[in-house]
Amino acid sequence: MTERHLPPVLARLVKLVTRTENALLVFMLAAMVLLAASQIVLRNFMGMSVAGTDQALRLLVLWVAFLGAVAASREGRHIHVDAVARWLPGRARAWVGSLTDLFTLVVCLVLAWESLRYLVKSYDTAEKAFGVLPVWVAASILPLAFVLIALRYFLRLVHHVRQGLGREEPEA
Amino acid sequence: MMILAGIALIVLVLLGAPLFAIIAAGVLLNFALEGTDLTVIPIEIYSLAEMPVLLAIPLFTFAGYLLAESGAPQRLVRITNAFFGWMPGGLAAVALAMCAMFTAFTGASGVTIVALGGLLYPALRQAGYPERYSLGLVTTSGSIGLLFAPSLPLILYGVVAQQLNIGHPVAIPDLFLAGILPGLLIVVMLSLYGLWQRRGQPAAHIPFSGRAALASLRDAAWELPLPVVVLGGIYSGYFAVSEAAAVTAIYVFIVEVLVHREIRFAALPRLMRESMVLVGAILIVLGMSLASTNYLLDAEIPTRLFNYIRSHVHSALGFLLLLNLFLLALGMMLDIFSALVIMVPLILPIALKYDIHPVHLGIVFLANMEIAYLMPPMGMNLFIAMYRFDRPMLEIFRAVLPFVCILALAVLVITYWPGLSLALIKH
Repeated sequence: MTERHLPPVLARLVKLVTRTENALLVFMLAAMVLLAASQIVLRNFMGMSVAGTDQALRLLVLWVAFLGAVAASREGRHIHVDAVARWLPGRARAWVGSLTDLFTLVVCLVLAWESLRYLVKSYDTAEKAFGVLPVWVAASILPLAFVLIALRYFLRLVHHVRQGLGREEPEA
Repeated sequence: MMILAGIALIVLVLLGAPLFAIIAAGVLLNFALEGTDLTVIPIEIYSLAEMPVLLAIPLFTFAGYLLAESGAPQRLVRITNAFFGWMPGGLAAVALAMCAMFTAFTGASGVTIVALGGLLYPALRQAGYPERYSLGLVTTSGSIGLLFAPSLPLILYGVVAQQLNIGHPVAIPDLFLAGILPGLLIVVMLSLYGLWQRRGQPAAHIPFSGRAALASLRDAAWELPLPVVVLGGIYSGYFAVSEAAAVTAIYVFIVEVLVHREIRFAALPRLMRESMVLVGAILIVLGMSLASTNYLLDAEIPTRLFNYIRSHVHSALGFLLLLNLFLLALGMMLDIFSALVIMVPLILPIALKYDIHPVHLGIVFLANMEIAYLMPPMGMNLFIAMYRFDRPMLEIFRAVLPFVCILALAVLVITYWPGLSLALIKH
């Protein structure tokens, strides 16, 4: 619970963001499963193929993957090496955590900024992802996801700093 | 300057910073110093949406989470017990085969230990297997099966290898075929060890009962066709890999949620999110490494590494031995997915220059990772078993040690006998 000590307005906002992320993730995964399954039924049993299904599925993979990555950030479940932190006592582990949080936060902000520049570029050239959908819409998940991941690492950073200062109980 | 930055990044890795951020930082720094426009990084990441096979990863993962959450593991163990419980060494052999299949379908090795291991352990003990052997088997169970279709690491190796444009096609169905014999070798060797463990003991602890066997079959009637349909579909070429994944996902959904009703609708959003956390964590590292691979190839790093290694290691066999040791050490630190995504772009071009077949390399890579999961101090399976069975790490490792030795032997055979991996591939 990284948002426990936030002012109530912010805490509510974070909760709203979390719900929206979850709803979008569930909706898109459901759409992916149904679309992929119906495509097989149509192709093998009715000899039909709907144009654009393949591209839509590939795009759904990108969105689902990055929404999943955002969810992983929330719970600190990104792939990492647990070589040192596991053996440290609580306060020291909290300070190490805040260092890696800060690092991740900065990297994600840079990535979000560069993704945004990419979006602006492809908006100017009016590139299309497939048929009708402009690339800048299709790729908008990138800056969005990096901002959301940065937000999570900011919350983790606050949490870990408070633990380091002894204002919150470190986890066992 | 670059060296300092490199050291800082390595320190951050060891302190537990997420790998995707580390790779991203490395790529950002290198491109910034070269004066390359940094928007190439989002462009590379966006190319994740141009890889059709990737669709298989979320679909198989979701199906695996559904299977693990449902009563399917209980039904599998029940069949195993009813049919093979009476046979000397039979239970262990079938338990191994069952775990291999379950790992292949669920993709994550921890799932097998938690879902199947917890059920198999009492069954093995009841059938008269020694405690230490049983504990070793269920801990090892998590990693055998990585070589069988449709395991995620195999698919991921294919995806990464195809990105490298190495001139050799690395088709995923070929990888699936290549994994069969080496995978069977591992299962057979471990089964023989099980038979040897039971030597000199009375054969039947559980008498065979036709009625119980039939009931267990009827119980699992819905799940049993799944491997047949999926594997048959892939190997016959009827389904593409991503289609097989879609069939699996929708079939498992219908069986476990609509027919057996073991997973309530209310639990679905949580399961969907849980499974996609894994997918997101893997694919974000893959996305970053697409960008870094481009940089590595531009800077001709694999070629330079090759020239360096070439001056010390002259034969392909020597290189493979070195690779075995390196992969073991790597696997103790990294999980299999990031190890694949990060190291394959470096190792594959070098291996090609030693005339090692890319499909064979993939099998060797994964076989090594199976052992690495079981090595202290970092092996993931040891930790999972430690929590699941509530035993101290040392005891778990002692139980696993003979299994590690057998696996090491199998890996040596797989490494130095390329024919075993390549025999089934059509040339």
